[in-house]
Amino acid sequence: MKKQSNIGYVLRISLTLLLITSVVAALLAGVNMITAPIIASANEAKTQEAIAAVLPGGGQPIPFTDTTGLVKQVYASDLGYAVQVAPSGFDGEIDMMVGIDKEGKVLGISIISQTETAGLGAVAAADNAKGEAFRDQFIGMSGSLAVSKDGGQVDAITGATITSRAITDGINAALACVEGLG
Amino acid sequence: MDFKKQFKEGLLTKNPVLVQLLGMCSTLAITTSLFNGLGMGIAVTIILICSNVLISALRKVIPSQIRIAAYIVIIAGFVTIVDLLLQAYIPALSESLGVFIPLIVVNCIILGRAEAFASKNGVLASAVDGLCQGIGYTTALVIVCVIRELLGSGTFGGGLLNGGEGIRIIPEGYPAMQIVMPVGGFLVLGCVIAGSQFLMKKLETRKMDKEAAK
Repeated sequence: MKKQSNIGYVLRISLTLLLITSVVAALLAGVNMITAPIIASANEAKTQEAIAAVLPGGGQPIPFTDTTGLVKQVYASDLGYAVQVAPSGFDGEIDMMVGIDKEGKVLGISIISQTETAGLGAVAAADNAKGEAFRDQFIGMSGSLAVSKDGGQVDAITGATITSRAITDGINAALACVEGLG
Repeated sequence: MDFKKQFKEGLLTKNPVLVQLLGMCSTLAITTSLFNGLGMGIAVTIILICSNVLISALRKVIPSQIRIAAYIVIIAGFVTIVDLLLQAYIPALSESLGVFIPLIVVNCIILGRAEAFASKNGVLASAVDGLCQGIGYTTALVIVCVIRELLGSGTFGGGLLNGGEGIRIIPEGYPAMQIVMPVGGFLVLGCVIAGSQFLMKKLETRKMDKEAAK
């Protein structure tokens, strides 16, 4: 092979690649400038919606201590707390909000985002009778919860024990966190 | 340029999924509902057309020694743009496709077409190639989606029709859940590939018989 080590050649190649990457980067920056605020406000709206769903009237973020590593944020109001937790499900994190009243009882849960299997784990977040039945069973529960397979009182979704277990873990973390708040 | 030939190649004889066996990862992973299949197919088609056009336009400027790096940067740029736009304007699709949108960057179909077609052909032909290959990819995805959704969840058009629930065809409790799981993906894809090969052989022999009869 011919030795090609002259500076002109190396420069030409590097500059071409530099030019391409710069143009692509500039384009991306432009698109990001347009979409970033829309994405941020959509996420914010989703979080607020989830808080309102489990804690009527919403709440304000407060400082918290957490030993499970699952709690992301705690919102408080006169009625109780909304705890944002992110347990690991079957296929990635399940981002959800748990409403808990002043006596440490679950007010309700709302799933913000999840990537569980369609038709199985995703039922937990579904807007249908099955999904609602699963989520509503937690209302009024307190203490330490477990799915019925593990000897607890939570009815798991058929074919999605891991998802059900993850959500139960998330609720436990939220309950423990609120208990820690006193 | 032969549009009809390119279309036939993309849809059947050189179908990216069923014949070239490219992009298997996304095909197996996201084909659980019609909404996912169509969304992924359309996203890939758009990126494929854009990257094919740009790479074809730049094919004489990009030195061959760094072409792969240049292609990947261009493809990654388009994928990120589509990803951001989906997050901003169609969050439901962005959520259900999850990590597979960013992974389009390494979808072999796009780099494969850049290397095999766009780097050797004109802009218009490359755009048509992108469209045809994209349609082929989408068609294959939709076929696998419809079968998996019907057998695995018992519905048709999940995420799209009937307020996102799909039209129930098989009563609840009867569908074989495993079909929606990864193992079902392999089974269904294998059967669809076998079926398409059978169909193509049949078309070919019929064509040969016709020619022999002449």
